[in-house]
Amino acid sequence: MIGAVADPLPPVEDSVAFAVSLPTPSVAERLARAASSGEVLLQPRCGVGDHVGMLALLRRLEAEGEADVLSVTIDSHTRLGRFDVADAVRRRDPGDLNGYPLVSHGWRRGRELALATGRPLEVRHGSPVAERLFATSVASGITSFEGGGISYNVPYAKDVPLRRSLESWQRVDRTCGELAEQGLVVDRELFGTLTAVLVPPAISLAVSVLEAVLAARAGVRCVSVAYPQSGHALQDVAALRAIPVLAERYVPGVVVHPVLHQFMGQFPRVREHAARVIVEGAVVGRLGGARKIVVKSVDEAHGRPGPAALVEGLRLARQGLAVPADPAGADDAEVATELGHVVREVGELVDDLVGATDLVGAVVDAAADGRLDVPFSPSTSCAGAVLPARDERGGVWIRDFGRLPVSAQTRARHAEALRSSSAVGAVSTLVDRDVHYLLDRFGETRESVSIVSFGPADRGRPLPVTGA
Amino acid sequence: MRTTPPVRRVVILGVAASDCHVVANRLIAMSLVEAGFDVVNLGACTSVEAFAEAFAARPEAECVLIGSVNGHAYDDLADLPAVRRRGGLACPVVLGGRLGVGRDLAEDYVTRLHDLGVDVVCTDAADLLDVLDRLRPVRDEARAG
Repeated sequence: MIGAVADPLPPVEDSVAFAVSLPTPSVAERLARAASSGEVLLQPRCGVGDHVGMLALLRRLEAEGEADVLSVTIDSHTRLGRFDVADAVRRRDPGDLNGYPLVSHGWRRGRELALATGRPLEVRHGSPVAERLFATSVASGITSFEGGGISYNVPYAKDVPLRRSLESWQRVDRTCGELAEQGLVVDRELFGTLTAVLVPPAISLAVSVLEAVLAARAGVRCVSVAYPQSGHALQDVAALRAIPVLAERYVPGVVVHPVLHQFMGQFPRVREHAARVIVEGAVVGRLGGARKIVVKSVDEAHGRPGPAALVEGLRLARQGLAVPADPAGADDAEVATELGHVVREVGELVDDLVGATDLVGAVVDAAADGRLDVPFSPSTSCAGAVLPARDERGGVWIRDFGRLPVSAQTRARHAEALRSSSAVGAVSTLVDRDVHYLLDRFGETRESVSIVSFGPADRGRPLPVTGA
Repeated sequence: MRTTPPVRRVVILGVAASDCHVVANRLIAMSLVEAGFDVVNLGACTSVEAFAEAFAARPEAECVLIGSVNGHAYDDLADLPAVRRRGGLACPVVLGGRLGVGRDLAEDYVTRLHDLGVDVVCTDAADLLDVLDRLRPVRDEARAG
């Protein structure tokens, strides 16, 4: 190990003392204040490889974007525990990292991030096995940590056994319980966004309920449940309003905040279109009672957004929060009906599991045989037999339930929602259409940049030849 | 008209080592299957070593198609020269998707990927079938010769 990667962590008491002495409130305190005042907090995703660049980015998003909570988004190498690779790339050219390598920079620099602005920080990542990043995060004075044993495995890794990630996150959650005893409440945001593309609401919420129950049993006091905007206002408002209902039913006594993750699928490329999606997302979040919205940028379709695009995203979302009427057209009675259905569907997916004494084992078994399933998962721990589809208004439903243990009523409801949505054509074409829903809605074509480059052949070196 | 019986075309597909994005990977796999290919799909987070093993097991594959969405393609393929020196991956390697983290460095990204040994860079999956058809005669010629 080299450099900061080898720097030993401070004693836990020191980390707690540092975090509680910060002039900024913790994320849990900020969320609680918002809950009593009725505000909706806005948070960008942001992370660059370079430490000085990261400090500047956070300061700019505070000053110009007026973000309420700031993110430290971690690079993919660190997420997968490739700490040596992250460290080497950071030393060579931090611009080649797609996030901030916190373990490589180390907790001393992490504390500089925590002191850089007046806003609390959350670490956002995607680590199926997360103890080391979590320990560095706590030592840095970062008071919110995203993820969970299911939601940070199934979308983010191929061959990390689900039991391993669940046990890792149980240790993270137990540490949160111990820290709470010592006076530091770490907010644990559950990543209901999952694979981010065409995630049916009941599947997102079911995974979050399972992780919330695991977290609560481990001693976690503050949970944020993130739900990914599907693109259909009625469905999204109902799902967000279902979160407190589910919290009361499955984790009574735990503080639970609904969080909206703005549209995570293929974003429109044209600035005005992207801007409209961001404003609409904010409207939906407010109507659904989200306590916090994680905001997209106007450059979302073009790779990792720069600071100006992030600032503009925050401003647009702020405009959306101020829209007075209800332009999303979500009728309260319709929402209530939809909410009832979603809560029932979640129950069909989780009730048999949460009753188990060994919940970790029950989840592992359910995922292995497809009773718990997530569409488009790269993980071999997950059956991946569920196929979602959109209705013509953009709502996300389940076309093929795989082996999910749902009722005939649920099956009929989804089939009915998809009745008018064409299922004719090659599967790849149908899924492609549903994935690129927003592009079609705004009349955009699929790709803007097409580069085809036959390198070595152009330089006189023959292409390697296949086979013998 | 074909003069030889049609042979099922085989390709090896996967996503680069640090990258978990599979939606494009699944769509490409589905469309290649629909176009008549036999697709060995290794899925997300696949190391160069794992691509080499898969090719060793299916040497009739026309090429290896590696997708990258998170911008880490260059570092994820850092082992490619070493694997090639050992005789691994003796087939065209095609890299598709997002070439780097930044927005405006496409030319530099393409150059350094080629320097690493990536034979074809192709950012738009819509061009993929054309690329495969362009690669094929090179292979057939070399085999015949």
